[in-house]
Amino acid sequence: MKCYYCALDGKDSEAVAICIVCGMGLCMDHIIRKDIDVWEGGYPLPSKRVKTPLPRILCPECYNALYAK
Amino acid sequence: MTISLGKRCVAEAVGMFILVFFGTGAAIVTLMLASGTTPSTPFNIGIGALGGLGDWLAIGLAFGIAIAGSIYALGRISGCHINPAVTIALFATRRLPGRDVVPYIAAQLVGAAAASLLLAWVIGPDAVTIGGLGATAPFAGIGYLQAIVIEAIGTFLLMLVIMGVAVDERATPGFAGLMVGLAVAGIITTTGNLTGASLNPARTFGPYLGDWLLAGQNLWAFFPIYIIGPIVGAVLAAYLYDYLTEE
Repeated sequence: MKCYYCALDGKDSEAVAICIVCGMGLCMDHIIRKDIDVWEGGYPLPSKRVKTPLPRILCPECYNALYAK
Repeated sequence: MTISLGKRCVAEAVGMFILVFFGTGAAIVTLMLASGTTPSTPFNIGIGALGGLGDWLAIGLAFGIAIAGSIYALGRISGCHINPAVTIALFATRRLPGRDVVPYIAAQLVGAAAASLLLAWVIGPDAVTIGGLGATAPFAGIGYLQAIVIEAIGTFLLMLVIMGVAVDERATPGFAGLMVGLAVAGIITTTGNLTGASLNPARTFGPYLGDWLLAGQNLWAFFPIYIIGPIVGAVLAAYLYDYLTEE
């Protein structure tokens, strides 16, 4: 798979990841890694945050759609 | 990593405040409605005269809905025990670290006291003189030991429900708050007219402190009922559930 953004610019880059939302192929220059904290447990005990967060790869467009304020 | 102990204690105090404000608030308002005007009207039937069990159901539901709301809002933060008996039972079964127990109970007592004092202020003197701030005491014909047993049995059921719907990892997620609230409502409907159905030392502490400070009744002699009964009931339920579910 090739990187969609590089292809738009006429470049030919191998994709190293896929956006979890839209499925777009992305090279290292275009991925946005947005880790998510994982909480486990809850009532009647306090939730605990798992030490290792969940990795999540997004393309710039999906990142903006989800997180741009 | 959990949320800091300070924030969890704030959550416990807020949850306890909600429980006492809405739960005992319903008891106060019911007593004030029952007291009514002088002379009384056909509507002022009073608790226990004609519609007594309905009154207790209404009070029980006020407690239950307040508890359910608190659990859903604060359960992930502190665990939302909002009951020293539950805190001690979870500690006794090694689910809650010992260093959390005293701060949790202190926060619960602070939340309960704040709610009772605020109720007295927003409702006025009738909340103390007529409503007694919703304080619990054994009803006529219920002895001290009988009251302890009733409180223990009620809290036993409450803790058993908590173990089954919340502590047990096999429980269907999402129902804990609703079921715990409904269990409290049911227990209050049945045992309300026997002991006041506290099931919770902090829930009794708030109104007792408020009544004592605001020249209401001095009921501290009954306080051991609402400490011993709930703690014994909750601890027994937690141990029994662990025994029944261990392989």
